[in-house]
Amino acid sequence: MKRITASVQSRIRGSLMSMAFVAAASLMAGTALAQTTGGTLSGIVQPEPPILVSALNSQAPTQYIAGKIYQGLLTYGPDLKPRPELAKSWQISPDGLTYTFELQQGVKWHDGKPFTSADVVFSIDKMLREVHVRTRAVINKYMASIRAVNDSTVEIKLKEPFPPFISMFETGTMPMMPKHIYDGTDYRNNPANQKPVGTGPFMLKEWKKGAYIKLAKNPNYWKKGKPYLDELVFYVIPDSASRAVAFEKGDVQVLRGGDVDNVDVKRLRALPNVEYTTKGWEMFAPMTSLLLNERKPPFNNVNVRRAVMHALNRKLIVDNIFFGMGKPAVSPFSSSTLFFDKNMPTFDFSIKKAREELKASGVDVSKYPVKILSTSYGANWDRLDEYIKQMLEQIGFKVSIESADAGTWSSRVSNWDYDMTVTYTYQYGDPALGVERLYVTRNMVKGTPFANVQGYSNPKADDLWAKGGNTMDPVERQKLYSELQQILVSEVANANLFEIEFPTLYRKNIKNLVTTAIGLNESFDNVSIEKN
Amino acid sequence: MKSFFKRYCRNYGAMIGLIVLLAVVVVSFVAPMLYEESPWMMVAEPLMKPFADMAYPFGTDMLGRDITAGLLYGARVSLLVGVISTAVALVVGVLVGSVAGYCGGRIDDALMRVTEFFQTIPQLAMAVVIVAIFNPSIYSIVGAISVVSWPPVARLVRGEFLSLKQREFVQAAIVIGQRPLRIILTQILPNAMSPIIVSASFMVATAILTESALSFLGLGDRNMMSWGFMIGAARTMIREAWWMSVWPGVAILLTVLAINLIGEGLNDALNPQLRRRGE
Amino acid sequence: MHAEVIVNFLSFFLSRLIKALVVVIGVVVINFFLIRMAPGDPATVMAGEAGAGDATYVTQLREQFGLDQPVLTQLGIYLKGVAKLDLGYSYRNHLPVLDLILDRLPATFLLMSGAFLFSIVVGVLLGVIAARTRYENRRRWIDSAVMSGALLLYATPLFWLSLMAIILFSVVLGWLPAFGMESVGAGYTGLARVQDIALHLVLPTISLGCFFMAVYVRLTRASMLEVMGMDFVKTARAKGVPARRVIRVHVLRNALLPVITFAGIQLGQMAGGAVLTETVFSWPGIGRLMFDALLQRDYQLLLGIFFVTSALVVFFNLVTDVIYRFIDPRIAIGGKEATA
Repeated sequence: MKRITASVQSRIRGSLMSMAFVAAASLMAGTALAQTTGGTLSGIVQPEPPILVSALNSQAPTQYIAGKIYQGLLTYGPDLKPRPELAKSWQISPDGLTYTFELQQGVKWHDGKPFTSADVVFSIDKMLREVHVRTRAVINKYMASIRAVNDSTVEIKLKEPFPPFISMFETGTMPMMPKHIYDGTDYRNNPANQKPVGTGPFMLKEWKKGAYIKLAKNPNYWKKGKPYLDELVFYVIPDSASRAVAFEKGDVQVLRGGDVDNVDVKRLRALPNVEYTTKGWEMFAPMTSLLLNERKPPFNNVNVRRAVMHALNRKLIVDNIFFGMGKPAVSPFSSSTLFFDKNMPTFDFSIKKAREELKASGVDVSKYPVKILSTSYGANWDRLDEYIKQMLEQIGFKVSIESADAGTWSSRVSNWDYDMTVTYTYQYGDPALGVERLYVTRNMVKGTPFANVQGYSNPKADDLWAKGGNTMDPVERQKLYSELQQILVSEVANANLFEIEFPTLYRKNIKNLVTTAIGLNESFDNVSIEKN
Repeated sequence: MKSFFKRYCRNYGAMIGLIVLLAVVVVSFVAPMLYEESPWMMVAEPLMKPFADMAYPFGTDMLGRDITAGLLYGARVSLLVGVISTAVALVVGVLVGSVAGYCGGRIDDALMRVTEFFQTIPQLAMAVVIVAIFNPSIYSIVGAISVVSWPPVARLVRGEFLSLKQREFVQAAIVIGQRPLRIILTQILPNAMSPIIVSASFMVATAILTESALSFLGLGDRNMMSWGFMIGAARTMIREAWWMSVWPGVAILLTVLAINLIGEGLNDALNPQLRRRGE
Repeated sequence: MHAEVIVNFLSFFLSRLIKALVVVIGVVVINFFLIRMAPGDPATVMAGEAGAGDATYVTQLREQFGLDQPVLTQLGIYLKGVAKLDLGYSYRNHLPVLDLILDRLPATFLLMSGAFLFSIVVGVLLGVIAARTRYENRRRWIDSAVMSGALLLYATPLFWLSLMAIILFSVVLGWLPAFGMESVGAGYTGLARVQDIALHLVLPTISLGCFFMAVYVRLTRASMLEVMGMDFVKTARAKGVPARRVIRVHVLRNALLPVITFAGIQLGQMAGGAVLTETVFSWPGIGRLMFDALLQRDYQLLLGIFFVTSALVVFFNLVTDVIYRFIDPRIAIGGKEATA
C-alpha cells in the first residue's frame, strides 16, 4: 500500500523542480510520482571486478557498479539523445568545434568538497587522457583545448568537427574524477581507488571479497530527495545455477544480462512477480561477429566470405543456441546504433548458394584447413563454435576447434595469429565510436583485440568513415553511413552474426530500473522498491 | 600360461569385465559404420527425451545432436587416451624404476627424489595445470596423464628390481659377466611383469577417469566427442535434460568397472606365481 | 636406552623434514618455470579484460607486475619472499596472495575433514564387517554386497556422482542445497549459520568421500583377511579367545597399517583442493581458486597455492611416516625402504 505523506510529497516536488528533464523522463516511465523511499536492492556482480574505478577499468562488472558511484556530464535516452546529468545544459557551436557545458549547482564529492569545473578539466585533460583505454584516443586526437570559463562552466574546443563527441559523456566513458584527490598522484596506485570518491548517489560501504559489495546511500546527493534506496548489495556468486536459485528464492532481485544461462531465463521469466526487458542496451548494442582473418587464404577472397555467410543460419543460431535472445545481424551496425540502415543485401541461409559462391571464388577451401580459436565465454559460445564447424564442413572446409584461455585468446587475436574466432563488441551509440575502430585501415594495429584485427581494408570505405565522422549534419551523415554499410555488407568486412539481446530480469515491485540507453549501468538514483 | 587362463576364467567378475570391455572395444570400432556422420552433426530436434523416438534411443542434446552417436564415438576417445597414456607412463616408469632399482646408490637416490617431486602435487591438479598451460588437445591430455601416472610405476618397478636383484639367478648372471642391459631385459623384467601388468590395467581405468574429468572441466579436445565432455556440456541443463548427463556417466562407469574387474582377475590369476616366489 | 631412542627419532625426523623442505622448494621452482611456458601472461589477460588494452597498457602492466625483468631475477625475488612467508600480490584480485589463500583454506579444510572422516569411518567399518562375515562364513551375502558396492563406487567418476546426487537430492527431492557453502544473502549467524553450512556440506562431503571410502573398504577387508589367516590369530582362536576380542586386540591393529599409509596419501591428494568437487558444488575452496587462477594466468596466486598445497602434502606424508614408525617398530628408520 502506498501512503503518500506530506514530507514525501514535498521531497518529490523538490526533485521535480531541480531536474526538469529527468522528471519528464520519469513521467514517461509512468510511475514516478509516488515513489517509496527506503529499502535495499540486491543484484549480482560477476565476475568480481578488480576495482570499482571506471576510469581505470572498462570491464562490465566495474562499469556496472562504478556507475552508481561516479557520474558523467550527460546520460542518454533509449533513442541515444543526450540528457543532463552533471551538466544541466550544453551548447554546440554551429561549426561543431566548441562545446560549452553548464554544470549543476550544489554538487559535492563524497568527501564533502564541492564539484567544480576544475574537476571536469582535470578529469578530461589530465586523468582520462592518460588512463582511459577507450576515451584517451579520442581526447588525444580531437581535443584542441579545454578550459574552465568559471566555476560552473566548461568550454571544450576541438581541432576538427567530431559529431560523435557529444555521445561520449556517459559515466563509463567519461567519468568525472576528483581533482583534489588525484591530481599529481600516480593514478593507478592512488589509495582512493580502494575507497572511491565520486559524486554519485551511492558510496562504497563494504566490500567483502568473494562475497558481496555493499553501497550505501549518499546523504548529500545533489538531487534532493534522491536516491530513494538506502542500500545496494551486489553478491558475488561464481556459479550461474546458484545465481538462478538466488533469484528464485528472492535473495537477489535483479539479474543482469549474462548472469544466468539463457535456458534459465525462460523459466525465471515465467515466475509470478517477475518482469523482463531487453531494453537498456541501446548504447552498448553488443554485436556478435565471426572474425575471419582476411590477410591469408582462404578468407582473403570475398566470395569465400560470402559463402560463409550463406552457410550460417543466423536465425537458428539466435533461436536454438541463444534461446531467442538476439536479432540476426543486418549490417555491422546494431539496430539501435545511430544511422543504422536496414535496407541491406541479405545473405539468406542456403547451402546451395554457399557452394555457388565457393565455385565463383575459384578457391579450393579444403586445401586450407582452418581453426576456430575458441575461448571460454560460456556454454552457448561453445555450442556456436561447434555449429560453425559443422556448417562449414558441409560446404567443404576442413575445420577444427582450438581452445584457448582468456590470456592466450587476447594475445593471439591482438597479434593476428588466428584463422577464425567468435567475439562480440560494444558499439557505444555513434558508429564513429565503437564500430569504426573495427573496419578502418589505419586501425590495423597489433596489441589489442578491439581493433581491425581481421585485416579488412577498403580505401573507399575509409573515406566514408572519415567523412561520416567529420560531418555535423545528421542527414548528410545518414547518407554517408548508408553507403558505407552497403559496402561493408556486400564485401563481408566481417561475418556479423547477430545482435545480442541481454535480458534484464527483476521483481515487479522495482520501479525505474531501466530507463536510459545504458540501462543497469545508470546511477539508480531514481530507482525505488514499492512495498505491496 | 594355460593354468593362468584357467585361474582367470574361474573368476566370474573378471569374465564379465572382459566381456564388457570387449563390447566397448567393438563399439568403438563399429561406431563410424553405424553412424557415418560425425556425432557433432545436428540431426534432429533438440532436447528429445530418451526412447521417445527409437531412431535416437538415448535422446538428443540442446543442439539436436544424437546422444547415442556421442556415446559410441566417446568410447574411442576413452580407450585411445586410456591405452596410450598408460603405455607412455609404463615406458617411462619402467625405465626409471629399473635403472634406479638395478643401479642403486646415488643414481637410485636421485631418481627417487625426482619421482617424489612428481608425486607431491596431487594428480588431477597437476594434469589440469599441464593441459591448461599447453592448450587442451588430445596430445596435451595424453601427455599430462602420462606425466602424472608414471611415478607409482617407477616405485613399483624399483621395488621389484631391488628384491629380484638379490635372487640367485640374477647374481649368477652378474657373476658370469652378462651385460646389465641383457640382465635387465632377459632375467629381471620378465619376472617383474605380473605386478606391472596388474598395475597397468588399473592405470588405464584411472586414465579414463582423469580424461573424463579434464573434459568435464572444459579442458578436453574440442574436436573429439568424449563422455566427459558430454557430461560437462549437460551441466547447465541438468534440470531440463537429465538424460544428457546420465548416459555418458553410465558409460564411463561400466567401462571403468569392467577394467577394474579385469585387473582384479589378472591379479588373482597371477598371484599364485607371486606367492610361489616367496614374496 | 631412552636417550638413544630419542636421538634416533630426532635424527630421522630432522632428515625427513629437510627432505620435505627441499621437495617443496623444488616443486615451487618447477612450477614457476612451468607456468611461464604458457602463452600469454597476467598482463595480457588483464589488458584484454579491461576492455581495450593497447600495447602501451600491456607494457605498463608488465612493468607493474615486474614481468619485464629476466626470469631468474623474478624467481630470486619470489623465493626470497616465500622465505618470509610473503607469497606475493595478486594483481587480478588486488589482495596479497597469502590473504586470498587463508580466506579460502578453511572451506577446503572443512570439506576435506568431512570427507576424510566419512570415508575412513564408514570405509573401515564396512571393511571390517565384510571381512568378518567372510571369515566366519555366516551371512556372506553381506560381504558380497559390500564388495560389489565398493567396486561400483570405485569405478564411478566423481563429478558424475556429484551431479547425480544433485539431481536426486536437490532437484527431485529438494532435501539439500545444490550449491555453495552458505545460503546467499540470508545472513545467518551463530547456530543457524552452523546448521546452514552443515546442510550445504552434506552432498559435497559424501561425493568426495565415496571414492576413498570404497578404497578403505577393500583395503581394510583385504588386510584383515590376510592377518586373520596368520598363525598368531589361529593360535589365539585355538586358545579359545572370543572372535570379537581377537579382532579388536590382535587383528585390527596389524590390519590398519596399510589403511594408515593410504590415509596419508589420501589427505595429500585431497589437499590438492578437490578441484572437481569444488567446481561442481561451487564450494569456495582453494581448489576452485587454483582453477580460476590458472585460467586468469594469475602467476603469483597459482604459485602460492602450489606452495601451500605441496607443503600440506609433504606435511601429511611426514605425519604418516611418524605414526607408522610408532605403530610398527618393525619398520626400519632411515636406510633404504624396499617399498614406498
